[in-house]
Amino acid sequence: MCDKITVGPAGYMPKSAPSMGVELAPEGKALLYGNIVEEEEAMRDAAKALLTRENPTIFPGPQILWDWKEDVAEKAAAILELAAEIPSCKIIPMPDYRPKYPKIDVKAEINPNHPNLTILDNKIKAAIFVGVHCHYANLTLRMIRAGTDCYTIALCAHMGHEEAMASIRDLHASDVRKFKDILIEERNKLGIEWTPTMPPANPSLEKEDHSTLTAADYGEYRSLLMSRKGEHVAEVE
Amino acid sequence: MSQNARPKLEKKIVDAGYLLKEAPRTQQFITGAQAMAEAVKRANVDMAIAYPITPQSEVMHLVGDIYAQGHIKEYYRAEEELGTMSAIAGAARAGVRMFTATSGPGLLRGLEAIASWPGHRIPAVLGVLTRVVNAPLSIQPDNIEIAYLMHCGALVLHAENQQDTFDMTLAAFAIAEKVDVYIPVAVATEGFFVTHAKGYVNTTPEDMALTPIDPTAAPVPAMDNETPPARIQRDAPVQKSNFMSYLIHAVWQQEIWDSNKRSMKYIYEYLGGPIEVQDPEADVFVVASGCAAAQAREAHRYAQEEGLSVGFIKVRSIRPFPVDEIREAVKNAKKLIVPEHNIIGWLCKEVKASIPNSGIVVEGPRVYGGMTLPVELIMAEIYNALGIEHNMKL
Amino acid sequence: MSLKYMTPTEQFKKYLPKDYVELVDYGPFGKSQDEAGVNNIGQFKEVLEEHPMCSGCLMAYFIRVFFAALPNPEDTVTLGTAGCGRLAISQAAVPFIYGNYGDQNAMASGLSRAFRLRFPDKKKDVVTLAGDGGTMDIGFSMTMHSWIRGEKFTTIMLDNEVYGNTGGQESGMSPQGAILKMAPEGKKFEKMPATELAKTAGCVYVVRISPTNIKKTAKSIKRAILVAREVGPTFIHVYTSCNIEYSIPTEEVFKDAKDQEKDRFSFEEYMTDEAREVIERIEGEEKKAKKAKKGARKEEVVS
Repeated sequence: MCDKITVGPAGYMPKSAPSMGVELAPEGKALLYGNIVEEEEAMRDAAKALLTRENPTIFPGPQILWDWKEDVAEKAAAILELAAEIPSCKIIPMPDYRPKYPKIDVKAEINPNHPNLTILDNKIKAAIFVGVHCHYANLTLRMIRAGTDCYTIALCAHMGHEEAMASIRDLHASDVRKFKDILIEERNKLGIEWTPTMPPANPSLEKEDHSTLTAADYGEYRSLLMSRKGEHVAEVE
Repeated sequence: MSQNARPKLEKKIVDAGYLLKEAPRTQQFITGAQAMAEAVKRANVDMAIAYPITPQSEVMHLVGDIYAQGHIKEYYRAEEELGTMSAIAGAARAGVRMFTATSGPGLLRGLEAIASWPGHRIPAVLGVLTRVVNAPLSIQPDNIEIAYLMHCGALVLHAENQQDTFDMTLAAFAIAEKVDVYIPVAVATEGFFVTHAKGYVNTTPEDMALTPIDPTAAPVPAMDNETPPARIQRDAPVQKSNFMSYLIHAVWQQEIWDSNKRSMKYIYEYLGGPIEVQDPEADVFVVASGCAAAQAREAHRYAQEEGLSVGFIKVRSIRPFPVDEIREAVKNAKKLIVPEHNIIGWLCKEVKASIPNSGIVVEGPRVYGGMTLPVELIMAEIYNALGIEHNMKL
Repeated sequence: MSLKYMTPTEQFKKYLPKDYVELVDYGPFGKSQDEAGVNNIGQFKEVLEEHPMCSGCLMAYFIRVFFAALPNPEDTVTLGTAGCGRLAISQAAVPFIYGNYGDQNAMASGLSRAFRLRFPDKKKDVVTLAGDGGTMDIGFSMTMHSWIRGEKFTTIMLDNEVYGNTGGQESGMSPQGAILKMAPEGKKFEKMPATELAKTAGCVYVVRISPTNIKKTAKSIKRAILVAREVGPTFIHVYTSCNIEYSIPTEEVFKDAKDQEKDRFSFEEYMTDEAREVIERIEGEEKKAKKAKKGARKEEVVS
């Protein structure tokens, strides 16, 4: 069985996975590199990617970030349990789907209209998407496969995603915990020592230190700053 | 719109698989327009929006009656087709099940909105009761409008008769709302020839209705202030700019056609597949869709009686187009005859593009502008294809 | 009213970007106009902050006021079309539907009816915000028919008297004589009588305003939305000058708006008796509540 969907970059305008013949996995099965496999096989490969590739990151989407349905809290808890077990894992959210204006803070979030920016800037080589609406997940996964070398894992509450390297469908909190257990097994096999640690909070939440602000911090808005009489602003981006 | 005064009907809610494949059926002798309305009656439609045009009007009159009886929750006559199709797009974003129908020039008037339904992920069902596109004006059947519809991204099913119209319309709602599809489905059939003619239709019980739409089981959030994200803009303008990926619109378009492709498994599940094949070993095939398929079926019967090696392929689904299925079915064929109800031969072009040996395709016979398609016209091509001398007075 | 869809999952709150956390903690959602209305701009996190409108744009200013004036931002959906306005409207933390050309009032007809079907016991406000071109030219038929049908939502026309976004072409709302693109010899017919059309077509509350007074502008917006909930279509025709195409120096944009107040945009407020009843009832209740609150506070001080 040859791999149909592999880690990118796939190129300038790659064909979509479905148009290359990849079909969604039926109930009870998963997708791995575009092929239908047992769920455990996909989870094991995904776990290895998260453990061996640089800067593993979880991208939670709106359906899990916002407390809108009964089952969300448990799923969110399970995702964080998983995150704690992945060495040096980060959590970067996709809180909504509209394009970011004027510029995305790539350390603080990811956006489906330009997901490559966050992936490339943070040098993320393995990532989990969870709780993103399927339409936007497909757009995002395709753009990441086109322009980055990130291994993508889709944890989907519905039918899964052809574009991801590993895709798990009909996701419940119990599946996330099963994935976590497999990840711990693989971690032990690889001999990686790790004490469960929660990923750091969103970097944008840090309190700003106004005492060290310079004109350069204002970027394109620096022209709006009033310079003091005689002051010459030389420091620009 | 006083909701309290609306009649309340008790119905048994069943899933699409049961309703289409297992539910008991009783035979009715009804028109194509009635068949479409009967399907809408059983589809648990929330809202239908109407605008008159011949020959479609009959369908939306009947849907109006169904609304008055309480089978549909909301119904109104809009200002014209662009207003109709836009209102459908607005309402569907709130997470309700929508239906409307139109014909020829009406379809073209609404096409700006219809063409953007798939990109906006609007899982509405659109009845297309075909009619010539004016110039000069005529209200006669001709299905050239389907050529315009084929490149929008929507699914297009083409009904041969009244029974197909019923089954396809009912299946359309189930297919459109699948989470891996979620784009509109157009159910087309010929104006007058099917809409105003009666045929036998096996219908499901009137007190049995399709499972209601679930706005949370969707690939996009409903814009209802109940579904996250709060800062939602489902279909933001995505222009190439300094804060956008150059790929976004391209992958969005891919996603629509991927969704279109994913629907094929449901066409198998609910409608028995995108094509019907008779006599798969034949030398000559008549390939047709819609009303032309009914005439082609008859030509196939004539050929059987005469002992000729003629097969029949009916194409149910125009989008997604069954490329693989047709290529496989005609791999040993020597000639393909494609009768159609339009001048450009859109089905013929699709068939030619699906096979490696397009030279075996006979372009026609075609009738248009409201002409009927006599079986003899197809027989003449069959005789030509088989090298049989004939002297048919047409 | 449900704020669940904008309440972060407890576990994930510390992973959300600052912008969103602030919107949840200090935004206007679930708050009254006294807590987070136009009078308190600067004291709460607004739903609209950064946007790409031109410097000195009166439309951007009005849109900011509009969002601050929403009586129920957590249960409001806005709709718009091509034009400058959507550049800012689409950046707000209120759902925005961007459809095709001039279709906002047709979409809003479907959307508002669908809301009443799905949520018969909730108040969900639907507002269309489109330019003069979108409302009175390309969307004219859909605008007029939504009013004629008595659709219960609010229409706001952001009138900059020109097609600003496409580069300065004449619109039906441009004043007669204005030399614009596609009107090289000056516009040859008069500005369309939008508020008259609205009244004739059945709008139950109509306002024409140059938004120089924030409180007055906010009051009109609030009235229009509250009346639309209960009675029928409402319309606000607002002057939102294009300082680029009409060459208004940035520092004179406000002065121009004041001048227009005495000219083409003299304040006009029209309401049917039914609309007046609703306004008097709601504003009366608000006054009563305010008085009671004041009284309670006094008592507190005394005791």
